[in-house]
Amino acid sequence: MTALNQWLPTLITFSPLLGIIILLFIPREKERVHRSIGILATLPPLVLSVWMYNSFNQKLVGFQMKQSFDWIRLFDDAKISYSMGVDGISMPLTLLTCVISTLAVIASLYIRRRTKQYYMLFLLLQTGMLGVFLSSTFFLFFIFFEITLVAAFFLIGIWGYLEKERAANLFLIYNGIGSAFMLIAMIGLFLSTKTWEYHDMQERLVMWLNLAEQPVLLWVIFICLFIAFAIKLPIFPFHSWMLRTHVEAPTPVVMVHSGILLKMGAYGLMRFGVGMFPDYMKEMTWILIALGLINIIYGAILAFVQKELKRVLAYSSVSHMGIILLGIASLNQIGLKGALFQAISHGLISALLFYIVGSLYERTKTTELAMLGGLARRMPILSGLLLVAGLALLGLPGLSGFISEFLAFLGLFQVQPIFAAVGTIGLILAAAYTLRAVLKTTFGPMRESFQGLRDIRLNESIPMLILVGLITLIGVYPKIVDDSIQLTLYQMVLRIGG
Amino acid sequence: MQITTLVLMVLLPTLLGFLIILLGREGLSKKATCLIGVITTGITLIGSLILFGKSFILSEVLPKWNFTWIELNQKPIQFGFELQPLNVLMLIIVSTVSFLVHLYSYGYMKGDERFSVFYSYLALFTFSMLGLVISPNLLQIYIFWELVGVCSFLLVGFWYFKTEAKRAAKKAFIVTRIGDIGFFIAISLVFKEIGSFELKDLQIAIEQGSISSGMITLIAILLFVGAIGKSGQFPLHTWLPDAMEGPTPVSALIHAATMVAAGVFLVANTFWLFEAAPIALDVVAYVGGFTAIFAATIGIAQTDIKRILAYSTVSQLGYMMLALGSVGYIAGVFHLMTHAFFKALLFLAAGAVMIIFHHEQDIRKMGGLWKKNRVLTGLFLVGCLAITGIPPFSGFFSKDEILLAVYQDGRIGLLIVAIIAAFFTAFYMFRLFFTVFTGNTKQKGELGKVPRAMTFPMIVLALLSIVAGLVEVPTNSLSSWLMKGLAKPITTHESSIFIPVIAVLVSLLGMGLAYLIYGSKRISAKRITGTIPWLHQLLVRKYYIDELYRYLVIIPLKGIGWLLQIFDRVIIGGLVRLGGGIMQILGRMGTALQNGQAQTYALISVFGFVILIVSLLAGRILK
Repeated sequence: MTALNQWLPTLITFSPLLGIIILLFIPREKERVHRSIGILATLPPLVLSVWMYNSFNQKLVGFQMKQSFDWIRLFDDAKISYSMGVDGISMPLTLLTCVISTLAVIASLYIRRRTKQYYMLFLLLQTGMLGVFLSSTFFLFFIFFEITLVAAFFLIGIWGYLEKERAANLFLIYNGIGSAFMLIAMIGLFLSTKTWEYHDMQERLVMWLNLAEQPVLLWVIFICLFIAFAIKLPIFPFHSWMLRTHVEAPTPVVMVHSGILLKMGAYGLMRFGVGMFPDYMKEMTWILIALGLINIIYGAILAFVQKELKRVLAYSSVSHMGIILLGIASLNQIGLKGALFQAISHGLISALLFYIVGSLYERTKTTELAMLGGLARRMPILSGLLLVAGLALLGLPGLSGFISEFLAFLGLFQVQPIFAAVGTIGLILAAAYTLRAVLKTTFGPMRESFQGLRDIRLNESIPMLILVGLITLIGVYPKIVDDSIQLTLYQMVLRIGG
Repeated sequence: MQITTLVLMVLLPTLLGFLIILLGREGLSKKATCLIGVITTGITLIGSLILFGKSFILSEVLPKWNFTWIELNQKPIQFGFELQPLNVLMLIIVSTVSFLVHLYSYGYMKGDERFSVFYSYLALFTFSMLGLVISPNLLQIYIFWELVGVCSFLLVGFWYFKTEAKRAAKKAFIVTRIGDIGFFIAISLVFKEIGSFELKDLQIAIEQGSISSGMITLIAILLFVGAIGKSGQFPLHTWLPDAMEGPTPVSALIHAATMVAAGVFLVANTFWLFEAAPIALDVVAYVGGFTAIFAATIGIAQTDIKRILAYSTVSQLGYMMLALGSVGYIAGVFHLMTHAFFKALLFLAAGAVMIIFHHEQDIRKMGGLWKKNRVLTGLFLVGCLAITGIPPFSGFFSKDEILLAVYQDGRIGLLIVAIIAAFFTAFYMFRLFFTVFTGNTKQKGELGKVPRAMTFPMIVLALLSIVAGLVEVPTNSLSSWLMKGLAKPITTHESSIFIPVIAVLVSLLGMGLAYLIYGSKRISAKRITGTIPWLHQLLVRKYYIDELYRYLVIIPLKGIGWLLQIFDRVIIGGLVRLGGGIMQILGRMGTALQNGQAQTYALISVFGFVILIVSLLAGRILK
């Protein structure tokens, strides 16, 4: 078994490519076949990742199921090795990726143009995302990270809504800048540690960081990394590209984008920020808290005054990413756990919300709040699901949003109670903007023109129901995620010391 | 029977009922739906009664039980239940009222097409409320606290197509959430101090003095902020009257008998915490006392039957807080219980009145019901007498306890306030009674009929409203039972004869005045309002609190929102354009380099080569 387990990260990452290969041989106009293959191709990684979850040893420190061999020789003894593995942080995110990808492909039923290309790009995107979480060297991480950029760029630019080209452009420019910073950091890290492996990097950085006089280079590397992931998360004031993407990208891509791609920023901050530069993160605490609070409150207030549903959700993402930041800023086990839970929980919730809004748009042809209203009358099921998703978003206990926000704030309360208390204003605002948007859509009197609307069909609602199920499962029984991340976070906090 | 089995018998049926009704709503007939609801809450009621019997009659100490929910800092965070007398008493109250309301709703909601949705919400609420009252730790209380809140929100907005219902539901959720944040911070601080959410651990930590008194006060006050939100205390009371947009059975169950009392329960359940923080007790007492009189005065000028009762609820909850703040633990809890019965009765009776008047809620358009429906009149009168505190109705005993507690605590100012509030209570209740039941019918046409399913629950509640006082007076059995749940006994109040006499006299005065104005119409109400129009207007507009919030909170928030929106568009958007622009300029420069002129290429190559060599050399030397 162990021999096979070793292959799991690699298999999971590259299994979507199988679908791409099969799609190559399918004629362009067979749209239903494309769709079936697209859905089927996301199943192997899903099944394999569930398997990985089952065989994951919760008592093992560091990466497990690790597989590595030399790949490229650079000079002297420096080489780039191919190395993949999984630990407590990447485990739940991998599962999340597989679940949301499968559901997003199922949710791609509104895509009717150039389906062959669409599903190929989508599967490529999935490989990229899985690779980001499952690589255990920086070099591979970077490559997979770039793959997601390219794939997402085309997916937004070709299949998006009205201003898709502009949105895709902005997406590329911002993420490109982020990647440039990351590249600098990556090379700097390699030059100072002579390795790409996360684990070795960590060990060697500790030596550097213990020196009395630390080289300026390390700070430069750290800042570059921070900016790269700050753009991805996104942290104020780098958030505007994300707004456009959320508004213009096609529904399944937004599901993946807000569900997973943004979480790569959180992952990066934890893996590279907290994992490799714990002392610098500690010195940055104040900046992190300040940025986190700005994100939370700025995002929430703007979400409150938006006139369009998707923009409300987009700004609410800004606000919720602030909670991740606060969790990370606390630099203790509870806070980090909260941040990771928030990444997972918000991934599920935002995927659900954007899917619901997508199917809403297919019917009403508008997402302007002023044009909507009273939809519960014609679409009780969709409205009910929107309400549940909204309640999850505002952190109702019993759903996953509560446990993540609670832990993130609880973590910060241990170290900075006053600032944590300021942040809780965001929880009130979250209730205000979520209910405003949800109630404006489904409650109140209905417009005459919506008289003919039909509620969602069963095949549309299946992804939603699965997401609601998962959100409830984590909310009621958080141990299901908690058990696998426990030890990794514990180790991480030990490094921070103090 | 095992205690765990019994608790499951209490909790599970309602949860199952919720799931069955929710999932089977297409197939179930209204009768079946109602039957499921009544049977599940019936089982719950029986379970609670057995627990009550074990605890109250057999004086057994019931065990607690836990399981691990999540681990924090390698320590398990547990869920479970606790069955102190207070918890058991709450179980009884919740399951009794819920059972009766399930029955009543069959008649009241019969015509509604979302009948099953209504029942599923009711079941979910009952489950959450039961979970709340047996929680052994703060986190679990908070979780169920939020869940009952959301059920309240769903039920207030049950008639979602009505704009007022939509607004009221939103307001109920957001205003209570403001309070909840206080609760949230309190829990986080408790965890910061003792690394646990268990009430027991907190109690021990306080006894050992391992928490500074300032921190204890802060935590207690923050918990109380949560209670303010939930129990509609000033200044977060505004949602409760608006919540009357929900169906009347909901108002009886959630917004009179159970959920709004959760705040009082929270303070009572953490009473040792408040005892250790005298300042917090002061806050509780003054907020409670102020709310009691404040809401009672508003109740005088309202014309909507349900809103009058809502302000009355706010005022009565204020009484309970006042009692707790005056170290009257027993008095507060006792009044919580009697109030649950008579206020639920009043709401259910009001619902029946509304059915008769075809969903009219304005009391000015009602009248003369006495001639049409003697039973209903009698039931409503029982409720009125109980809340007014006329002996031997239950409200008399519990209110008497409260006044005694306040008196013995020595805050004479608050005692006077409480007695004046009792006058107003009597006045607004009998204003309501005389307006609706005496005089002439003002509605034309056929009056509606009260279904039998609605009458039975009201009769049960009326009986309870009459006899509930017997559990404490004259035997003191309630207080000696509740005392067992406390670590250290609270000094009991010596009875005093003049306080009940004054209270009853004052109430009678209020009743008499109401009779003169609204019963016999000896005094013209118009004349009175005519002499002091500004005061009348102030009361009608509820002291302009809603308007105040509008101008102080909502409009500024929107204003900031618009400013930030402009900032986001112009400044942040400008940065984006700048970024894009720079990239384009760089791109143009790049294309300009590729102009096909070989000399330029060569020159650049040479430069590049030189830079390369220099840097390599420099690298060697520096190494």
